[in-house]
Amino acid sequence: MTAVIEATGLTKWYGKRRGVVDVGFAVEEGEVFGFLGPNGAGKTTTIRLLLGALRPSAGRATIFGLDAWTQAPEAHRRVAFVGSDPGYLGELTAGAQLDYVGALRGLPSGAWKPVAERFGLDPTVQLKKLSRGNRQKIGVVSAFMGQEPLLVMDEPTSGLDPLMQREFLTILSETRAAGRTVFLSSHNLPEVERSCDRVGIIREGRVIDISSVQALLAGHWRSVNLVLGAPPPNGTFELPGVEVISASARDVHLMVRGDVNPLLHRIATLDVYDVSITTPEIEDIFLRYYDDGAQPLAEEVTA
Amino acid sequence: MIGTTFRLELRRSRSLAFWLAVIAGAYAGTMAVFYPLMKENAALFEDYMDIFPEEFMAAFGMTGSLGDPGVFFTTYIGSYVWPIVAAIAGIILATRPVAADHDRGFLDLPLSTPIARVPYLGSAIVVQILVMIVVAVAMVVGAVAVGALVNAGFDAGRLFLVVPSSAAFGCAIAGVASVLAVVTLSRGMAGGITAGVLFLMYLANVVATIEPDVEWLATFSAFNYYDTTALIDEGTVPLLDLGVFTVVAVVGWIGALVLFRRRDLAA
Repeated sequence: MTAVIEATGLTKWYGKRRGVVDVGFAVEEGEVFGFLGPNGAGKTTTIRLLLGALRPSAGRATIFGLDAWTQAPEAHRRVAFVGSDPGYLGELTAGAQLDYVGALRGLPSGAWKPVAERFGLDPTVQLKKLSRGNRQKIGVVSAFMGQEPLLVMDEPTSGLDPLMQREFLTILSETRAAGRTVFLSSHNLPEVERSCDRVGIIREGRVIDISSVQALLAGHWRSVNLVLGAPPPNGTFELPGVEVISASARDVHLMVRGDVNPLLHRIATLDVYDVSITTPEIEDIFLRYYDDGAQPLAEEVTA
Repeated sequence: MIGTTFRLELRRSRSLAFWLAVIAGAYAGTMAVFYPLMKENAALFEDYMDIFPEEFMAAFGMTGSLGDPGVFFTTYIGSYVWPIVAAIAGIILATRPVAADHDRGFLDLPLSTPIARVPYLGSAIVVQILVMIVVAVAMVVGAVAVGALVNAGFDAGRLFLVVPSSAAFGCAIAGVASVLAVVTLSRGMAGGITAGVLFLMYLANVVATIEPDVEWLATFSAFNYYDTTALIDEGTVPLLDLGVFTVVAVVGWIGALVLFRRRDLAA
């Protein structure tokens, strides 16, 4: 696998204000990489560093091996970008704006039409008359209208209605199937869960975890609820990674982390009426990173 | 790609260029209506002007007879409406491609495409030059056309010599505003500083003309180098003045291009 995006020690200070600090990650060819974090965590700063809009205070980012700051125009030949709530030229129509961006990217006039149809975008309306959601559609259409091998998307679905979000995910999966690489910053956790191969989590300007979505889910606590035919013998659930939350007669609530097989084998020795294992939503995991009561992050970093 | 950004800048500038051309042309035309009256009553006006100190009148461009087309044009058009029109055009056009588009969050979009920053800004600078020329031509056309209707007797060829000086004056403003826009990344700040500097230069020129002790102040005023009187009345092209404006404009634009090439576009 070749690294399409590579950030090493990437740091940006706005005077004394923190942008991002020592950010490092690599996005490999053909993968969809999710970049998660709350407002102000440094997602947009990271993207603007990747696009060469900002000069790093320290560290370096490369796109296809080209320096993101000093070789930006060359790198951009292979990049399509959509920003979060980008400014538009209100006097243009949606079609004119898309043609403008398309021409800058070397695309023929009207290259946006097939994608615009899928999103139900009216290209004849002046941008200043469009709602926030419809303006966002233009950004999304703009990102998907070319065939650049890398798409950089900063919260592309914010403002889109659920139908459009679904269409976005469909096109995103087509994009992934075509072997293109996607760097997707998002607040929309289900969207990340459904579309991304790996996820990077950024908090207060630092990347605190990078892992596959599956590993992220597997590395966290799952809730196990049991209804037993008889109270279990003492010490039944004294297993590595298992914590008894509550046990009253025949109802047992456990939390398990890591390999669940030892617990399943132990449960199999019991008279079980009912069992449910709840895998946490990625949202629960995400929130744990920002929860003061969460485990020390150093334990959870798998990058 | 340069053609694409040039066409977009041209498209975004056409409304401003049109209205400024209409204003400059209409104003110059309106003033030209009064020129025959001025010429017929030049002696009367000179008597009236003698009431005021010579330096005071000179400070506002009134040197010589208002019956001379150069003095008339400079007093009522060149040093009155053109600085205002040129300042509006220069500041709006020069602060748009970097500062205003950065303010509104648009700049990241074109700069995320393969176009390099220098040609991106360069194409906008070419549009600034074109707009200045178009509006300056409109101003002269207004005076010449109405002048012909009222038999003002203007020498159209001489009046059109005003175009390069006027456009160069506007371009100097645009050059300064351009570099300030790149440095500040704020249309409000760049425009405000440019307008403030122009106002101070205007005051400096007035004070330097009224008060001989501070005559040197005029050296630092753009208004000192924008005088169309000799150009129209004698056909003398003020190469030095033209050169000053051209140098300021070119230095400003080159400075803007050099700085923008490596400008950190931090919010």
